[in-house]
Amino acid sequence: MGGGAAGIGAAGAAKQASPDARVQVFTEFEDVGYSPCGIPYVHGREIESFSGLILQGKEFYEKAGIDVRYETTVESLDVGAGEVVLAGGERVGYDALIVATGFTYADPGVPGSQLDGLHYVKNIRRAMEWDPILDQAKKAVVVEASPLGLEMTTALAHRGLETHLVDAHPWALSEVADPDIAAPVQASWAEMGVQMHFNTRLEAFLGSTTVTGVRTSEGEIEADVVVVCTHKTPNNALARAASIEIGSTGGIVVDERMATSRAGVFAAGDCIEVPQGSTMLPLQGLSGSHAYSQGKVAGTNAAGGQRAYDPVFVPWGMVAGKWMIGGVSFGETTAGALGIPFHMGVAEGISRARYYPGLHKVRVKLLAEPGSLRLLGAQMVGGEGIKERADFLAMAAKKGITLRDLATMENVYSPPIGALNEPIALAAQNGLARLARGPGS
Amino acid sequence: MSFSEWLRTNSQHYLLEASEREMAKRYLGTAPPLPGGGVGPLFWRRVFVPAYRVVPWAWRRSMMQLMPGSHRRHWSYRPLREGRGTPEP
Ligand SMILES: Cc1cc2nc3c(=O)[nH]c(=O)nc-3n(C[C@H](O)[C@H](O)[C@H](O)COP(=O)(O)OP(=O)(O)OC[C@H]3O[C@@H](n4cnc5c(N)ncnc54)[C@H](O)[C@@H]3O)c2cc1C
Repeated sequence: MGGGAAGIGAAGAAKQASPDARVQVFTEFEDVGYSPCGIPYVHGREIESFSGLILQGKEFYEKAGIDVRYETTVESLDVGAGEVVLAGGERVGYDALIVATGFTYADPGVPGSQLDGLHYVKNIRRAMEWDPILDQAKKAVVVEASPLGLEMTTALAHRGLETHLVDAHPWALSEVADPDIAAPVQASWAEMGVQMHFNTRLEAFLGSTTVTGVRTSEGEIEADVVVVCTHKTPNNALARAASIEIGSTGGIVVDERMATSRAGVFAAGDCIEVPQGSTMLPLQGLSGSHAYSQGKVAGTNAAGGQRAYDPVFVPWGMVAGKWMIGGVSFGETTAGALGIPFHMGVAEGISRARYYPGLHKVRVKLLAEPGSLRLLGAQMVGGEGIKERADFLAMAAKKGITLRDLATMENVYSPPIGALNEPIALAAQNGLARLARGPGS
Repeated sequence: MSFSEWLRTNSQHYLLEASEREMAKRYLGTAPPLPGGGVGPLFWRRVFVPAYRVVPWAWRRSMMQLMPGSHRRHWSYRPLREGRGTPEP
């Protein structure tokens, strides 16, 4: 159930584990197997057209023996009978069900949420219909500085629109990123003409039938287009109604096999929650790559195979404004919120040899467990190489690598791609030096 | 919404707000969050957040792990034991 990263990953893995299995995928949408992650970049004109985002055509799934039922809504689950009930009443039996219903954007909870013209970036067809509107539009409002909000703000400014970003928190992406990580991004938005409205609550969408702007705690902003980028919430109404256990995050409870509380029912992707690896506290609404891997685990096990998923350390990264930002598990803000004790090492290094054109500053912050100095989390901002550093540091955290290990790590030095001193090693060395200087340093 | 969802949603919101306030003090030029009014927020800000913070992290983590969720199901992976580079037995 679901044709996103998790559903398609599950269908492919089920077919691989059991080539004779009959695999059906139900999706409300007109398409499967496209990359929603690329949509903001087409709106921003960094990518020329939507066609490149389609990974596989419909024939591919037919040839692979996967029966995709497009524009088919599952209305309820009859887990007792082993059936899903489709809109219109058709009942379809199953031996194993995989719930991969993904996410919905949180309801902004203000008047006007039903107005025409409010854009929720998800379905590629709706994005294709909406994109030409941007050619005429002059002024845009993006609601919430979520990861998608950051991408859409950057995209619309790049497209030449006067772009306003409205967010109730004091800085961009504050639920994930620290203020010193967000600061260069915000400065670069200012250079691009973005008008930022932080610490500003959305109060209403304005307009009679079509949205014409927003009312905020700081006043009204007129706009030709409004994009809603509220945080992702698990789309679990059907699972709840079928008495499948839901956790404190609102995500479906699963084990390492992606099995739910009901026999024969598996779940994967943004509709589930999984534990974070160092705290074992559940998290929900991760990334497309998590959804795809979880789908593969669910699909394999649903088809009789054996595959386990590990708790997560959540490497993340993205382009925002003129910068790349990223991290692993916790930053100072989130560790501080949870009250996790940490010792920190910070450094500013460079991405290439100091004489090589196009080098960027790279700021790295490493959070380590006091005592053992095992890596707990990281935050980074720079111009290149952030993704690779985040992937590496997530594995380092998973394997119990310490600041001491990182301080003496080996690194590639090649003028166009790496400086003599790796910023991660510098941050770890600074963390150790701070520790040697004693408390309060 | 179950009790555990309600508790997590609210505690997460107010703990983050308190942390944002501290970050604003630590990083010059960062604005603190604007507090919304009302009686509900008062409880979370004045009672819950300070009470949460006096409890040591290890206890807090144990209490949070008592909540229902995926972490209570089977995971072969063992987190590293606090203070050591080896998995918990
Ligand atoms: C604009 C955008 C940008 C993104 N950028 C990134 C990125 O840069 N990096 C990254 O890692 N991830 C990115 N993502 C991925 C995203 O954040 C999610 O993690 C990912 O989409 C989750 O996949 P999923 O399969 O769990 O759910 P979804 O993608 O939400 O898919 C849910 C599926 O379930 C179907 N469905 C739901 N209910 C029913 C029903 N009742 N009946 C039938 N079908 C149903 C829907 O039709 C859909 O096919 C982006 C997503 C979007 C939309």
